Amino acid sequence: MERKKVLIIDDEKNFTQVFKLNLEDLGEYEVWTENNSHRGLTVVREFKPDIIFLDVAMPGLEGPDILNQIKGEGLLKKTAVVFFTATVTPDEVHAQHGFIGGHPFLAKDCSVHEIVNCIKRSLNNLAPVNNF
Amino acid sequence: MSISNTSFKESLSVLLIDDTALDLKLLQKMLTEASAKFSLVKTAKSLKETFKTLKESHFDVAILDLNLPDSHGIETLVKLNEKFPFLAIVVNTGVYEDDLGIQTMSLGAQDFIVKGKYQAYGLVKSIYYAKERKRIEDELLNAYNRLQETQNQLVQAEKMNVIGQLASGIAHEVKNPLATILFGAAYLNEKNYAQDEKIQLTLKSIIESANRANTIIKDLLDFASISKIHRENVSLNQLIEKSLELIEYAIKKNKIRVVKSFENDLPQLQVDYNRMEQVIVNLVLNAVQAMPNGGTLGLKTSSKTVTKAEYQNNGFFPVGSQIVFVEVEDEGPGIPESKLSKVFDPFYTTKRAMGGVGLGLSVAKNIIEMHAGRINLVNKEPKGVRATLALKTEDGEKKSPNYR
Repeated sequence: MERKKVLIIDDEKNFTQVFKLNLEDLGEYEVWTENNSHRGLTVVREFKPDIIFLDVAMPGLEGPDILNQIKGEGLLKKTAVVFFTATVTPDEVHAQHGFIGGHPFLAKDCSVHEIVNCIKRSLNNLAPVNNF
Repeated sequence: MSISNTSFKESLSVLLIDDTALDLKLLQKMLTEASAKFSLVKTAKSLKETFKTLKESHFDVAILDLNLPDSHGIETLVKLNEKFPFLAIVVNTGVYEDDLGIQTMSLGAQDFIVKGKYQAYGLVKSIYYAKERKRIEDELLNAYNRLQETQNQLVQAEKMNVIGQLASGIAHEVKNPLATILFGAAYLNEKNYAQDEKIQLTLKSIIESANRANTIIKDLLDFASISKIHRENVSLNQLIEKSLELIEYAIKKNKIRVVKSFENDLPQLQVDYNRMEQVIVNLVLNAVQAMPNGGTLGLKTSSKTVTKAEYQNNGFFPVGSQIVFVEVEDEGPGIPESKLSKVFDPFYTTKRAMGGVGLGLSVAKNIIEMHAGRINLVNKEPKGVRATLALKTEDGEKKSPNYR
């Protein structure tokens, strides 16, 4: 089976590194990391990820800005976006039913298992009908 | 709240207190002759009889002779004022006591008149002025207390706001490295050398510590985000039932018997559902944890309207407001009296060894205070703790049954 392409855009270099190691070890994913928010869009064009994990608060461009850029180029038809942030509390996630602006969001203190679940769910949702 | 006007047209009820039959007659006569109408005029000849009569019916004004068979001088006024703080008192002294009369004005009397020196007109005027002064005094006191309550809430809200900003700043900075540590440890855990017992132990320590730090950060964020409350119509009885469901496991594990006594017609509250649930869960969990070997947990809801006497006693909720109470009782060992004043302090805990951070009750207190309510904890006889919440319904009126 072809490996799914996962991109993580997050200014925390240490974090993106262990994120990549964990997911790639599972054998089903190819992971790219990007720590510079201004390069986000370029990497999306180049790498054509199936799913993007997008940090919210970053120096330079913030998560939602990058999402708008991606949307603007019509790249969302084939790519799922998950907000991935340390700023939310479980309460806030709950209050939003786990979605912000139509995109799922995960608190950074989740487990690898939860990330994998989130990827599977998002890609399933994306597959049949999706016209963002 | 503003001070209301009066038209002086209200008909008043008056209690005449004097041990001399002749003086009483005279007073009664003056009141019947006056053009003003009095709804009720009664007499009492001793302080004991006075108390009895005042308990039986409501009086606006008392005309008081200080020297009665069972009480003398200033003492008479002080006792009466203490027991019936909402009664307007006019002291009626003998002609040689007029220096005493002035003194009584600083001890709660609204006016003083000297026997033989007034006629019907003067007496009636004094009665009406006394009632009016007393009313304005009470309203001012009420308004002052509300002002202070509001000010306290503002200060509290501002404090929480600052803590909130600080906490979410810290949380963001700390959670990122923590997430890295957790993901790093999870990665190492999957490797072959993780089978090594010492490495396994080390990884376990790292993961547990990082998880614990995460929990503290979460609690801190909870603590800090209380400045935002979203009020909605809530039926507290239902909320308590739901809260119990959430912690069913802990209740069963400790073999706790839950005894519920809910008021059927409990008025609705306008509160933040999730926050209030957090408070109930916290109080019930505390009670459960206080009884590791089983016991009875009492849960009671009730409501009442604040009377003048109760207001005078605690002065917190204004007269006429409708208050809903929740009581949570356990049969545990109780809290040492010396520690009782500390239980609401942030980071104070008796359960440090069990991993308690000490934010539970301080969070609960903050939540209740943001709702302008009260929370208190007392030891009960012969053992155990009773936690009581008191929350005011919106404007004291019953809300439409728009249940959640």
